[in-house]
Amino acid sequence: MRRYTPYMLLAPALLFTMFILVYPVAQNLVNSFRDVNLVRPGGGWTGLLNYRHVFGDAVFWLAFRNTALYAVIGTSLALLIGLGLALVLDVNTGKMSSVAAGLYSIPWVVSPVVAGFAWKWLLNDHFGILNYWLSSAGIVRNGTSWLGNPHTALACVMIARAWQFYPFAMVMFLAGLQSIPAEQYEAASVDGATALRKFFHITIPNLRPVSSVLLLLGVIWSFNDFNMVFVMTRGGPINASMVLPVLVREFSFVHFDLGKGSALSILIFTLLVTLSFLYLRVLARRERA
Amino acid sequence: MKRLLVGAALLALLGLSCGRKEDTVELRDWNFGGKPRLIEWLRHRVEAFEQTHRGIRVVQSQKSWNMIRELLYADFSVGTGPDVVNVHANYAAEFGGAGYYYPINTFPDFQDVRKWYVPHLLESTRYRENYYGLPSSGIAFVLICNKELFDREGISPPRTWSEFREAARRLTKDTDGDGTVDQYGLVLLGGDKGGFAYRLVPFLLKAGADIMSDDLKTIRFNSPEAVSAVKLIADMYQVDHSITPGFLAYTLTEINDLFCSNKVAMSIEGPWFRGMVDDKSPGKKIYTVPVPVPDERIAAYDTASTLQDMVMYAINARTKYPEQAWALIKFLRNEEADMAWIREDLGAVATTRYALGSPEAGALPDLPIYIHELEHAKPWPAHPSMIAIASDVFTPYTQKAIVGELSPREAMDQAAHEAQEMIEGKR
Repeated sequence: MRRYTPYMLLAPALLFTMFILVYPVAQNLVNSFRDVNLVRPGGGWTGLLNYRHVFGDAVFWLAFRNTALYAVIGTSLALLIGLGLALVLDVNTGKMSSVAAGLYSIPWVVSPVVAGFAWKWLLNDHFGILNYWLSSAGIVRNGTSWLGNPHTALACVMIARAWQFYPFAMVMFLAGLQSIPAEQYEAASVDGATALRKFFHITIPNLRPVSSVLLLLGVIWSFNDFNMVFVMTRGGPINASMVLPVLVREFSFVHFDLGKGSALSILIFTLLVTLSFLYLRVLARRERA
Repeated sequence: MKRLLVGAALLALLGLSCGRKEDTVELRDWNFGGKPRLIEWLRHRVEAFEQTHRGIRVVQSQKSWNMIRELLYADFSVGTGPDVVNVHANYAAEFGGAGYYYPINTFPDFQDVRKWYVPHLLESTRYRENYYGLPSSGIAFVLICNKELFDREGISPPRTWSEFREAARRLTKDTDGDGTVDQYGLVLLGGDKGGFAYRLVPFLLKAGADIMSDDLKTIRFNSPEAVSAVKLIADMYQVDHSITPGFLAYTLTEINDLFCSNKVAMSIEGPWFRGMVDDKSPGKKIYTVPVPVPDERIAAYDTASTLQDMVMYAINARTKYPEQAWALIKFLRNEEADMAWIREDLGAVATTRYALGSPEAGALPDLPIYIHELEHAKPWPAHPSMIAIASDVFTPYTQKAIVGELSPREAMDQAAHEAQEMIEGKR
């Protein structure tokens, strides 16, 4: 009996995990090989047809490209801002540092839906504050449409994404900066190194593990990010800012083709599992180091 | 002894409550969207129904109009949908065809009930040989003009496409002299795929174009007439710059904001728009006129079709209580109930002959124009894929044509090709 006790104690948690994680993924996998269409009920097994339909859909490739850009550029931008602010905060100015850190962290705690709506109104062509500022400064003409222009919509959601992710990067970088031994900087100073050389030869190398973890996490989260794009543009205009999670919704709950939606979500899942595996490897390497 | 008595009383109460539950039929009624006044009216009407139909209890739920198809498919496909629902009539083909709606023509008194309604409005609820709902409110798409801006410019609402284009051009201007245009002639609902199609199709219909062939086997929206309608809007956007540059991102809220703040002069809307404008800018005056026709069709100005949309009350095919659900939708949509649509501004047009022919009907602002337009309006073709085609094919391609990514001819040909594949089941 004692032999089975640990398993019995684990059983409720395992069952719960099975129910909320394993079962939906397994059902999704099954659906991806079936014709599950709510408009035409009663379809059967279709093999890889749903995957072929996904790969044959021009919007999928556009969404894939957009998602990759959204993830990589949005995350990189957030990392740059986060690093910049972390460097500023690392200069200890007493209470001001804590206050500033708290203020800079606000975007991280705002709900993505609320943030999305706020950005949507900030960028509004006629009533948005951004156009008001930029046109007052003579940079753009008033009424410039940011979200209604297929050439700028994706860039806008990337900026919004960077705005939301930078506080996390900032906190992580700050922790990284504070763990760099002061002796390294002291030794460099003795050798006559300039501030720039210290930054590139001490700070950056020491922050590399943090940066790789952040980059991977940011890319994974961005690949999964639905709220910001959906609220701001719904993937428009004319699919210009379409990303994969929004496309899953389009397939599943606009076209009601759950088979095709499942196939796409399995593809995203596979990609994310691969990225997560990479993330774990980076973590392991970091711990060994 | 006391315990025994209390126990017996509890048992008796339990028995009574069980018995009562068995006698009472509970109907679930989903209402999508609508003005607060309409929702309030519905609540009172349902209460009146419960008083006159003892033994039927109605549980009403108010749902978002934006989520209508998601909610209906999610619930109907697993058999948990409401007993009664008010939906777009053009869902009759899609949901009726999928077996989700109850064919109401199977009720014995249907032939009497159908006489209440304007015949062509009731026809919009039909798919093949069955009728799937009772008309709830009629909608005709019209041109709404900002009276203040039109009067200031000294022009009348346009009747032809050249007048329309000219009016939009003249109403596009820099009002504060800062060198930037801040008032536009026309705004379009580009941020809502379905809503955009509803607002562009009236131009196609006014030009005499068809969406599909009568046998529902061939897509026809790439005809020269249809292409000319898309070209009109594309030219207004690309050549005249008289359409708001950011229209591709707009939802109805933004359109209302722009209209009420005098930043746009015209929009293609329906009977809900006056109420929206009133809520935001009480007393603001509008002209409600038919969507303009091509110059060469001016003789058909009074008879050219616009797009007809309609809301209907449908019954879930899997309801346990079809008779009671039928009684409810008749009560909600009978001639007496329909008079409320005349006496109060509920954001749509009545559908019974009695209400539309009543003396009060002529006194309502805009109602005569909507009644007139509804007489000649055409609904979306009754094909199960029509709504998907409108949102996912027609809208993206016509938007590409308007912003200049494709020529109107290329866009409509490509859209027609994809839509044809959809109705042939190849996509």
